[in-house]
Amino acid sequence: MNRYEKAAAAAVALMVLAAGAIFLFAPTDALQGPVQRIFYLHVSSAIAAYGCFAVVLLGGAIYLRSENLAADRLARAGAVVGLVFTTVCLVMGMLWAKPIWGAFWTWDARLTSTLVLWIIYAGYLLVRRLAEPGRQAARFAAVVGIFGFVDVPVVHFSVTWWRTVHPGPVIVNDALPPEMLATFLFTMACTLALAAVMIAIRYRLETLADGPVPEPAKVVAAVGSRDAEPVR
Amino acid sequence: MSSTIAIALAVARKDLRAEWRTRELVPALAQFVVLALVIANFGFQIDARNAPTIAPGVLWMALVFAGLVAFGRTFAAEREQSSLEAMLMTPASPVAIFAGKALGATLLLVGCEAVLLPALTLFFGTPLSFPIIATVLLATIGMAALGCLFAAMVARVRARELLLPLLTLPLWIPFIVAGGQAVQVAMGASGTYDQALALLIDFDILFVVLTSLAARFVLDE
Repeated sequence: MNRYEKAAAAAVALMVLAAGAIFLFAPTDALQGPVQRIFYLHVSSAIAAYGCFAVVLLGGAIYLRSENLAADRLARAGAVVGLVFTTVCLVMGMLWAKPIWGAFWTWDARLTSTLVLWIIYAGYLLVRRLAEPGRQAARFAAVVGIFGFVDVPVVHFSVTWWRTVHPGPVIVNDALPPEMLATFLFTMACTLALAAVMIAIRYRLETLADGPVPEPAKVVAAVGSRDAEPVR
Repeated sequence: MSSTIAIALAVARKDLRAEWRTRELVPALAQFVVLALVIANFGFQIDARNAPTIAPGVLWMALVFAGLVAFGRTFAAEREQSSLEAMLMTPASPVAIFAGKALGATLLLVGCEAVLLPALTLFFGTPLSFPIIATVLLATIGMAALGCLFAAMVARVRARELLLPLLTLPLWIPFIVAGGQAVQVAMGASGTYDQALALLIDFDILFVVLTSLAARFVLDE
């Protein structure tokens, strides 16, 4: 096993432990019953997604400043992994909403802004695919990543004066019993570790896909010609 | 700074003159928004009773899609003639050129709004009041900044017609949230107009500043 396989195995093992904590250790919610156990992974994956998109923002900003290729690869990796966690968060939220709110979806501030987040970063990946690979794709995607990250709190707060059914933060408000809080914190730590491992593996894949760094002499030659292979 | 403004005005004047000579975009957009109202009529079964609640939604739908067409066209002519490269080779700063393009596109969209708003009043019986006009014009500023930035971006990308709405629409949502609420209030719904308008101005400032910072990276490419 190489170190990526070891890290992946460790992350999976941590998630299995988290599942054990969620189903065996955490108490059943008095009002909602077993469906409340969705909470642990739902909130953890939302936090992991925010972290991934912060990586996209940072990577994009560093790339625009210094054309650092590693920063661009990191941003690419963060976008893919962040989109996965946003999807997990949305799907689990819908499964939870159906029995509790009676519908899979409501046009609530939190739900709407999360859906917009998903659409923005799906667009980010489309830009990467459709722009000319190399400098153009990296620059355009960095701009989309920065605007996307700015837009999400803006959308979120612009709709907060609407009535909201999504519960507010329960962690910082100290509203959880200690067993639930411990389960949540453990699940969140495991999920963040999983996200970090996924980003690392994705980063490695992007590095391999980019191929070897061109020799300095080739870079100069390629800059001079429009038809040259894009310099990565 | 003054040269930046002069360059921007020159670029905007060029675009408006080209539009005046061909008279392509604004008549097409005007037809487009009237068609949107006709389709809304069949989609919603509009009568005198429900018109005030439906009209704000129809207004924003028509405006958003007309805006997509207008901003998509902004860089289309430059791309077809490869004239954007020529402009960028001049000593003029890319930000000034971008500001000029955005200004020109904004004015063309305002021309389209000058048809849309009276048509809405005519067909839906909603008031054509100063608060509504002010809201639409304020939203146009921020939407134009974002729309032109992404239009400049997709002009160099494959499948640009596909990508422009996908990138622009999610970022326009703040303007539709605030503008939508302001127009709903102005057409008789309950709520606070001033708060929505203040929010709209905040979004304008935020996105105009961000766009002017990002324009260099998009146009330089």
